[in-house]
Amino acid sequence: MSHSCRKDKGKSLKENPPVEWENEFMWRIRAERARVKMNPIIEVKGFTKKYGDFAAVKNISFTVDEGSVFAFLGPNGAGKSTTINTLCTIFDKTEGELFIAGKNAHTQKNQVRSAIGVVFQDSTLDKKMTVEENLKMHCVFYKVPKNEVEERITFVLTLVDLLGWRKKTVSALSGGMKRRVEIARGLIHYPKVLFLDEPTTGLDPQTRAHVWEYIFRLQKEKNITIFLTTHYMDEAENCDKVAIMDHGKIIAYDTPFALKKQYTKDRAYITVANPAAFEQSLNREGINYIKKENYHRIDVDDNAKLLQVLAECKDGIKDIEIRKGTLNDVFLEITGREIRDTDNETKTQETQKKQKIKRGRK
Amino acid sequence: MINLNVIHSLWVRNLKAFIRNKPALVINLVFPFFFIFVFGEVFKLGEIESAEAYALAGIIMATVFDSSMRISSSTIDDISSGFMKEVLVSPVSRLSIAIGQFASSATVAATQGLIIFGVGFFIGVRITTPLTIVYVIAAMIFTGLIFAGFGLLLATKSKNIQTFQAVTMAITMPMTFLSGAYLPLSMLNPALATVSYFNPLTYAVVFFRTIALEKTNLPPEVLVSERVSFEIGSFIVTPLMSALILLLLGAVFISLATITFVNVDFSRINRNKNDSMMEDI
Repeated sequence: MSHSCRKDKGKSLKENPPVEWENEFMWRIRAERARVKMNPIIEVKGFTKKYGDFAAVKNISFTVDEGSVFAFLGPNGAGKSTTINTLCTIFDKTEGELFIAGKNAHTQKNQVRSAIGVVFQDSTLDKKMTVEENLKMHCVFYKVPKNEVEERITFVLTLVDLLGWRKKTVSALSGGMKRRVEIARGLIHYPKVLFLDEPTTGLDPQTRAHVWEYIFRLQKEKNITIFLTTHYMDEAENCDKVAIMDHGKIIAYDTPFALKKQYTKDRAYITVANPAAFEQSLNREGINYIKKENYHRIDVDDNAKLLQVLAECKDGIKDIEIRKGTLNDVFLEITGREIRDTDNETKTQETQKKQKIKRGRK
Repeated sequence: MINLNVIHSLWVRNLKAFIRNKPALVINLVFPFFFIFVFGEVFKLGEIESAEAYALAGIIMATVFDSSMRISSSTIDDISSGFMKEVLVSPVSRLSIAIGQFASSATVAATQGLIIFGVGFFIGVRITTPLTIVYVIAAMIFTGLIFAGFGLLLATKSKNIQTFQAVTMAITMPMTFLSGAYLPLSMLNPALATVSYFNPLTYAVVFFRTIALEKTNLPPEVLVSERVSFEIGSFIVTPLMSALILLLLGAVFISLATITFVNVDFSRINRNKNDSMMEDI
């Protein structure tokens, strides 16, 4: 495996390995598991949704495997929420077939509703009531057996670390806590599929990380299929499968790893003691590079060739930074534009990368 | 289709919400007394015997009307706060939800009415048989349900909280003042009196006064002379007719409200902050 080879090389040279490597490892575990069972729990065939003349979703089809984490990516207005709302039986389809756990989202609404948990973009908690009252009400709605209610409330609140807040009124909780209560509530009836529409939008980075921790913990413990929409690229990297949506169509659908492999190139920033010798080796292997003030930038096409060059010059190498392609790059590659209207986050990351390089040069 | 557990839970929830909203609770309980004080004097001017009791009965009805409308229409708050979305995505029938709303409205309305009725004893209202209390409570629940239907209808039709507030103000104010609850109908000028004949609350007030003042056995002419009942032209509207009219109106309001609520597309109802549906796509 050329990929892992390159990574090991990088790892030994870096003090702090980037998160992506760990994620890739996680992806392999999941891929392994996915090979064992591949039952589609969500099936969408030729789904179209029109508002008057305007088609928000145009003839999309996809499946989601049971027990996986599936992400819908795309800019605002791409049709993500429309699709999720139609799957959740809130909207009616214009055309096509949508099935969840074998039930038709159009004709068997109540069966579908019983099988799913939903966390919407905006809070749907009963703010005047306490956390416990909210959960109990939900149990009544979903016909959770009365003798299990207490036990389940304790279980879901433990899962999201809010056991101590049980008796508090919802309006007294912070935004992140409210979101966690909603996730807990969405789980209490043990749904087969949990829908999360932008679960971390509007939360600070730390809370976002926590929410993700809960989501993955629960997916592992309960083997619940998780279907989420997000426009945070970094969040989608952790998912088993990603569908990228734009203008009401799915423009790419695969594992984050495969998408990145197909559409992006890794980029290496290398600082060497002897640029002339390094360039000579690069030229000999036919590797294109861009020479900057203190480093060489290389878009990696062939790992083996680059590794050979690096092996030759290994004593003179001062720093290597490998920037892996992101899903944002995938989107950029397919559509020719950034995924986010306001890509402050991405820019910040870029700046951080650049700063790292500068630090490396010292 | 109808889930009693859901109805019960929603009922409890709405009562809790009502009790927990302390400022509103106090205002709702104190305001009617203010009205008793002010309008009791007005009724004395109208040469009505036991003016306090007469005013009290009217105010109870106005309170029941206002309260049941308010609680029932709290549905609009639930829609704008997002809670209704949680309800609608659950496998609960909307019919159960509507019934839960009606039941809690009628309960709160009747409770408030009963408190005012109890206070009536301190200002000189007397009843001759305890059975009257039973009738009074039944009448309050009955009228409470009717106006709960009316409130839910308004709430589901008006689609956003601002419109709703404007609409309720525009409807409830004239309805209460043109019903004989605060002012005797005989004091209204002929044009306004004509309007009051089309006001459901007028019939509720007539019906309730007859029961609360224990005048069910009196002949219609006496009722008219005592200003409990009223005449349209020379036609006397008896309390029984009022009750039938109410029953009819109630059936219409409740079924219309239920049908509207069951069929309304909540995804098209604007929530706070003007986040329209199109932005949500």
